[in-house]
Amino acid sequence: MEDVSTSTPSTSFAGSLRGTLGNYAALLAALVMMVALFSYLSQYFFSANTFLTIANDIPAIVATSVGMTFVLIIAGIDLSVGSVMALSAAVAGIAMLQWHWSLAMAVLLAMGVGTVTGFLNGAISVAWRLPSFIVTLGMLEVARGAAYIATDSRTQYIGDAISWLSNPVLFGLSPSFLIAILIVVAAQLVLTRSVFGRQMIGIGTNEEAMRLAGVDPRPVKILVFAIAGLLAGLAGIIQASRLEAADPNAGIGTELVVIASVVIGGTSLMGGRGSVINTFFGVLIISVLEAGLAQIGASEPTKRIITGCVIIVAVILDMYRERRRSRRA
Amino acid sequence: MKPLVKSLALLAALAAGAQVFASDTKPKVALVMKSLANEFFQTMEEGAKAHQKQHAAEYDLIANGIKDETDTAAQIKIIQQMIAEKVDAIVLAPADSKALVPVVKQAVDKGVLVVNIDNKLDDGALKEKGLTVPFVGPDNRKGAKLVGDYLAKQLKAGDKVGILEGVSTTFNAQQRTAGFQDAMKTVGAVVVGVQSGQWEMEKGNTVASAMLREHPDLKALLCGNDNMALGAVAAVKTAGKTGQVKVVGYDNIDAVKPLLAEGKLLATADQYAAKQAVFGIEIAVKAVKAKTPQNKMPGAIETTVDLVTK
Repeated sequence: MEDVSTSTPSTSFAGSLRGTLGNYAALLAALVMMVALFSYLSQYFFSANTFLTIANDIPAIVATSVGMTFVLIIAGIDLSVGSVMALSAAVAGIAMLQWHWSLAMAVLLAMGVGTVTGFLNGAISVAWRLPSFIVTLGMLEVARGAAYIATDSRTQYIGDAISWLSNPVLFGLSPSFLIAILIVVAAQLVLTRSVFGRQMIGIGTNEEAMRLAGVDPRPVKILVFAIAGLLAGLAGIIQASRLEAADPNAGIGTELVVIASVVIGGTSLMGGRGSVINTFFGVLIISVLEAGLAQIGASEPTKRIITGCVIIVAVILDMYRERRRSRRA
Repeated sequence: MKPLVKSLALLAALAAGAQVFASDTKPKVALVMKSLANEFFQTMEEGAKAHQKQHAAEYDLIANGIKDETDTAAQIKIIQQMIAEKVDAIVLAPADSKALVPVVKQAVDKGVLVVNIDNKLDDGALKEKGLTVPFVGPDNRKGAKLVGDYLAKQLKAGDKVGILEGVSTTFNAQQRTAGFQDAMKTVGAVVVGVQSGQWEMEKGNTVASAMLREHPDLKALLCGNDNMALGAVAAVKTAGKTGQVKVVGYDNIDAVKPLLAEGKLLATADQYAAKQAVFGIEIAVKAVKAKTPQNKMPGAIETTVDLVTK
């Protein structure tokens, strides 16, 4: 992306294509290796069935991870996403069960609830110049508590009315999956092709320089958190649709899975650098690992140890890759 | 909004209750629960509060819970606060069956009666401290076997089944798995995997999906609680095997009632969460009134578990 301004359009396209493939190659290789390993270990892993299940399993995490990628790019963090998922799903579930709302309205409501929490995260951290870590940590508690109040701490069974989002419609893929792919593509375009995208990277790289250049970073930051909230809200109802129930305890610890996926995708926790497509690969790596380990019947402690090691190794590899790239540039 | 109003009303009631404490000599009972985020304990606490309202003249109740089921340290702190609050008896659902024993000993030493509900305190640890703490609760293994036996009627020898276990370190999760295994052994079904769904719907769903893929001829999924069973039912549906793979759960939460009616869930067990705390409280109140010392209390009182199939 940086070389766009310095080279002619044709070479910059080839260059960026090569750069893009280079960026994805490592993650893709890791993914292929994992699939190969699990296919060797389990008789049934390498099947359309497995991959379709994983595909229909990940939309919630994909949506949330896209939002998290934006937040990390502006050097923030959002710890509240898991709770926000639960809260939006809970409110949407109650709307469907008790007020007899349609699924479409419930989806809008869930996204609305998510957007409000995200807006609050952003506005509060901007207004009082608080680290987003603390503000979203607070929101993690607030949204969880609100989810318990909304559901009376009881799992709400919604049933078929909500299942449309996760029923297969196209080659065994669900609308949720298609929505998730759309989100990834749209977000990548926003990040690389829009002023807003450049402003996000600018804030993450050097906020002071942005301000001196005459761009007010505050609305951008608030918008980023609101988007993250909106996507978490959408993720909440996607997950509720898959399980046909709203669980007030849904999404506990999801923020960590999401952050891990984003970081495996090479987005920097320090801000200023990130890619939505790579985040998508990060999600795939975590999900393939989870599905594969469950399928070979690994014990809970083993699963945790292996997942933890994969996260650390992935980030170390990414650091080397990044170092090599910056040396070349 | 209603729950909010309800909780505000509860707060007000608690505040009013606190003022009453000062003036009379009713036994003061503390109910110390596990996670109030878990609907099972929520039901238990509501049952206890309703009971106290009906018997307001006989005892006062302070109910407390911890944020999540594994926060043992927070529960120990609550018990210490209750001792400082000079309650007459503590009814405890321990987050950990061993780690809570020392603080139970502190309470008993200070003359507070302790009754154990839900999750049994470890016998060895109690013996070491020379304590007798009555356990009021269901036999989870027996309950799981009831559910498993009902499922077994629809299975034959050699059929493959999978078990979704709760948090594997908890006694209840282990007991339920053991009960399921007892039942499967009787019918000759093959348990091809026991994996933890962490008591959660989503984790249960992931694990159930994987089991269904790995064992395409799987006949049943036995789940340690209803939340995981909800996840398993969704997994069976996603796999297009509704009807072919039977699912059973445990706890009989409200959310599974429609599933039982539709036949998507074959059976579950009800151990009457609402009554468990009440049983514990009744025993505690009786002992306080009769001035029964801790070591003269009965060892165990088993409560009922019923099979629920519709």
